[in-house]
Amino acid sequence: MLLSLDWVSEYVKVPEDTQAFCDRLDLTGTGVEGVETLGDTFDRIYTAKILKKEHHPDSDHMWVCTVDVGEANLGDDGKPEPLQIVCGAQNFNEGDHIVTALVGAVLPGDVKIKKSKLRGVASCGMNCSERELGLGSDHDGIIILPEDAPIGMPYSEYLANTDTVLDLEITPNRPDCLSVTGLAREIGAMYQEPWADPLPQDAAKLEQHISGAPVDQSVTVSIQDADRAARYNARVIENVKVGPSPEWLAKRVAASGARSINNVVDVTNYILFLYGQPLHAFDYNSLVGKDGMANVIVRPAKDGEEFTTLDGQERTLTSDMTVIATPKRAVALAGVMGGLDSEVEDDTTTILLETATFSRAHTSRTSRNLSLISEASLRYERGVDAAPIEEISKAAAALIAEVSGGTVRPGCVDVYLDQPEQHDLTFRISRFNQMMGAEIPESFIKDILERLGCQVEGTDDANVLRVITPTFRPDLEREIDLYEEVLRLWGMDRIASTLPASPDRVGTRSREQDIRRTIDFTLRASGLSETMTYSFADAKDAERIRMEGVLPGEAVELLNPMNADHAIMRRSIFPGLLRSVEHNQAHGVQDIQLYEIGEVFSTSEGREKPKETTKLAAVMVGAMGPVAWNAKRVPFDFFDAKGVCEAIVHELAIPKLHFKPLTEEEAPFLQPGRAAKVYSAGAELGWVGELHPLATAAFDVEGPVAAFELDMKALVKASQLARDYIDVPAFPAVEVDQAFVVDEDVTHERMEQVMTSAGGKLLERVALFDVYRDDERIGAGKKSMAYHLTYRAPERTLTAEEVEKAHNKMLKKVQGATGAEVRG
Amino acid sequence: MDIIEELDSLQHDVLARIKAAEDTAALEEIRVSVLGKSGTLTAHLRNMGSVPKEQKAEVGRALNEARQAVEEALAGAKDVLSKAELEAAIASDAVDITLPGRHQHIGSRHLINRLIDEISEIFLGLGYSVIEGPEVETDYYNFEALNAPADHPSRSMQDTFYVRDMTGAESAVRGESNLLLRTQTSGVQVHAMEDQPMPIYVIAPGKVYRRDVADASHLPQFHQIEGLVVDKGITFGDLKGTLEYMCKAIFGEDRKTRFRAHYFPFTEPSAEVDVSCGICHGEGCRMCKHTGWLEILGCGMVDPNVLQMSGIDPEVYSGFAFGMGVERIACLKYDVPDLRMLLDGDMRFLEQF
Repeated sequence: MLLSLDWVSEYVKVPEDTQAFCDRLDLTGTGVEGVETLGDTFDRIYTAKILKKEHHPDSDHMWVCTVDVGEANLGDDGKPEPLQIVCGAQNFNEGDHIVTALVGAVLPGDVKIKKSKLRGVASCGMNCSERELGLGSDHDGIIILPEDAPIGMPYSEYLANTDTVLDLEITPNRPDCLSVTGLAREIGAMYQEPWADPLPQDAAKLEQHISGAPVDQSVTVSIQDADRAARYNARVIENVKVGPSPEWLAKRVAASGARSINNVVDVTNYILFLYGQPLHAFDYNSLVGKDGMANVIVRPAKDGEEFTTLDGQERTLTSDMTVIATPKRAVALAGVMGGLDSEVEDDTTTILLETATFSRAHTSRTSRNLSLISEASLRYERGVDAAPIEEISKAAAALIAEVSGGTVRPGCVDVYLDQPEQHDLTFRISRFNQMMGAEIPESFIKDILERLGCQVEGTDDANVLRVITPTFRPDLEREIDLYEEVLRLWGMDRIASTLPASPDRVGTRSREQDIRRTIDFTLRASGLSETMTYSFADAKDAERIRMEGVLPGEAVELLNPMNADHAIMRRSIFPGLLRSVEHNQAHGVQDIQLYEIGEVFSTSEGREKPKETTKLAAVMVGAMGPVAWNAKRVPFDFFDAKGVCEAIVHELAIPKLHFKPLTEEEAPFLQPGRAAKVYSAGAELGWVGELHPLATAAFDVEGPVAAFELDMKALVKASQLARDYIDVPAFPAVEVDQAFVVDEDVTHERMEQVMTSAGGKLLERVALFDVYRDDERIGAGKKSMAYHLTYRAPERTLTAEEVEKAHNKMLKKVQGATGAEVRG
Repeated sequence: MDIIEELDSLQHDVLARIKAAEDTAALEEIRVSVLGKSGTLTAHLRNMGSVPKEQKAEVGRALNEARQAVEEALAGAKDVLSKAELEAAIASDAVDITLPGRHQHIGSRHLINRLIDEISEIFLGLGYSVIEGPEVETDYYNFEALNAPADHPSRSMQDTFYVRDMTGAESAVRGESNLLLRTQTSGVQVHAMEDQPMPIYVIAPGKVYRRDVADASHLPQFHQIEGLVVDKGITFGDLKGTLEYMCKAIFGEDRKTRFRAHYFPFTEPSAEVDVSCGICHGEGCRMCKHTGWLEILGCGMVDPNVLQMSGIDPEVYSGFAFGMGVERIACLKYDVPDLRMLLDGDMRFLEQF
């Protein structure tokens, strides 16, 4: 909402210190988004006088003028020197007082005035029309000032045109502030100053313009659905001469951000800005039917009805939208925009003036469905007060008549189906002060509410006020709404700061949050950095990363995505992580260890809310740490990813960890042979592996990508809150190193199982320390696996014989179960 | 030769060798050759049985003396030699201590989560719990239960991502749906009020979505932290005190805050909160757009309608709620030049935090 301070000052005192005024507006709930001083645009534009007017030697329609601009142009001798200006206007004579833009002036629309030659004749400025200065629509000729106008005065000074316009952010609960008078009332309340409502006076002016037959003899109005339009007032103005607006009118409309169009349309905009009441002026004759009557019908649009709005756009309507129609056709889209073929044109002589109010919800939906926002729809969707419609209609008709030379037919047709509500509320002063934590006196409360338009009365209870709210404040429905009004105008800065006194509160994290923190710490300690990627994904990502077919459910689709790359919600975090890997590699970063804990989404037919699953996803590419003088760089592979998984499992005390190979069919996105599912005691936790080279290539990622994905819920479920204490050994152990030669397909897990079960109670620990292959010394298809075995009894020192016996027994069993050959 | 003489000569010989020994390894060699299992002196000891009876005492004494002399000489020589050896070893062990240390590579926390951690800690300290909610919400939890029913103008304040509803239900406005990506974490408030016993002191950090083109200062997905208190006797002053404490904890003790009246559907009275600009200290600069203040959050007293809809009696309980953008705080605290960096996963950016 643009507010001209010059305009609003007509109704209320506005502080001279604009900065302080803006601060007060900001603090009381009317955000100031911009401050613009009009008249700045009139730099280097002066009042002037035509001294001489001669025909251009090479043009029939141009004149070479000698223009006196007074002291605005000084010659070398320091005395005023007239300028030669070539001018194409026809409406002036020698001796006329005019407005001239000097070289260096910048006109609205960023038109720069330069010294130029027009058909060979030098021109040192421009004589201006209203339109060129953005002051009005008149482009027929240059501005002719009265004879007594001074010469060489800055034009803005001459106009006293310096106006400051504030760009205000009006919150959706304040429809009343979408008008100059509403803001005048608000400013009055802000400073506890009176304001003057111009409406009674403006409406009274109608009397002097009345003439002709009463309106109801040739106009009918019917509203088909009271829910869509509470009130519709029609008035007729005859003998109108459509033309340019007077300067004062064009100036007000321009300061409020509208383009000056013609006197009739400008009045409708003027009234809209002044009172917040949208109006529509129809060309009366375009509404008249065969019966000689204008029958106005407010009805729901038909589904599929075609309608061309004022902006020339053809629109397809739905039955949720409302139209203003004659029995034959729709002529306006109610509350949003008029129709092209009933608009006021230059030859219009009779006007039907609509002053109405339409449903907030229908207007809001219509506006959103058609992506069409107008000054009218903005106000209707927030609520327009039906109560003053007749008075405003009078004021508008009077003004149209005044500026267009027309007459207003007596009376109006006013269909008023639904009166706006006034709420009868109680205001409990002590409760208010209790809730605010303040001591705001009753006198202030009463004064503020009255200034805002409420009726305030005392009651039997000295602590309670009775407050009747005005119709123009639909947001004041409850006691709390009044509290807000008083608090904001009292000043939030005057409330003392405290902390809640409650003794019975404790701050806690949930078990899930605690576990997540442990996981975060463990991952970081393992060298991975946390990242975040888009929750949006490309529908083709699943196929690209070879997860199509193994992801659960269906993709969650966005109805209004920003672009095709972000059309669905991600089903896996990995495409996003691979994009980050690619980004790093493209920027020369080779060692990349990233993880993200976030949601993935899936849905299925018939389901409302999608399933959100929290996943931990990690990738490791390159090698651990930066190149160092004292560390060997070992490229990441499957076992690095697996190691991190094991670290998490250890930190969370997850029991019975188990890895099972994944086949290409089960996990086509992983490289077969380097892929495993992760279990804890039969419950699936996730997977670990190296991403399939085709999957990484599809994202332009180089080199092996070790990765894992764990399900957060499964981790939480499998984690153990408490761990058991195990006695620290008191007796020495006997350590034995033992190598076996086994077939390739014998896994470490199998060896460990057999050894552990065969070793009995005495075998405390089995640790693999070497895997070795040599076709010649060990044989093709075989490998040597060397284990470090720890034998110990908890309650005594073992003898060599005991260990030997247990060890030999174990060896025999391993040989039997795995075909292992024992190496000496 | 007489045994005594033999022993004398042996002792003499050994002492000379000890004296000549150059290092502790040589000493050890001597010790083994003399006193070891098959050492020369040990051999004499073993032969004591074959020494004639009358010589036993004398030979025994001589043996003991020889052994004692050798052991003493060995110990003395070892002292000297090992000290020298240690000094030599230490000297040759010296390193260039300016060489980089050997360290485990430590990963980093994402800046946004680091801030969420920091703010969560502040509120845990004030006795709040941390709660979470779903990212795909129904219209009810994102808007309606927050006092913004269908067609409420406040809805156009935020551009919403709508999600296809797989039940096939139709929406009143084309392209909209009953399902959406939450535009605010405020919905978590409603879940908390429905599910939690009184009093409620919670904060809810989380990801939210709005239809903004990603550029240096906007992202279509970002993070908010929502706070909610519902208890008996909560005042607007409590809201002010709490947020002032938080602002000082995040931005520093010297920063001022101001409350500007505003409008949100789910709070009343509502306010926006600014902190004084840390760069110009309120004088006005590019960072604060010459206002001296930086907007950081929205807040207010919980609207009685919202309490009532969640089954809480607004005559008994009152409360306050607030919500802030984490990315915004990140920008203000760290001057991140381009928000998109937060989603690039660039190691050079991530590892700074």
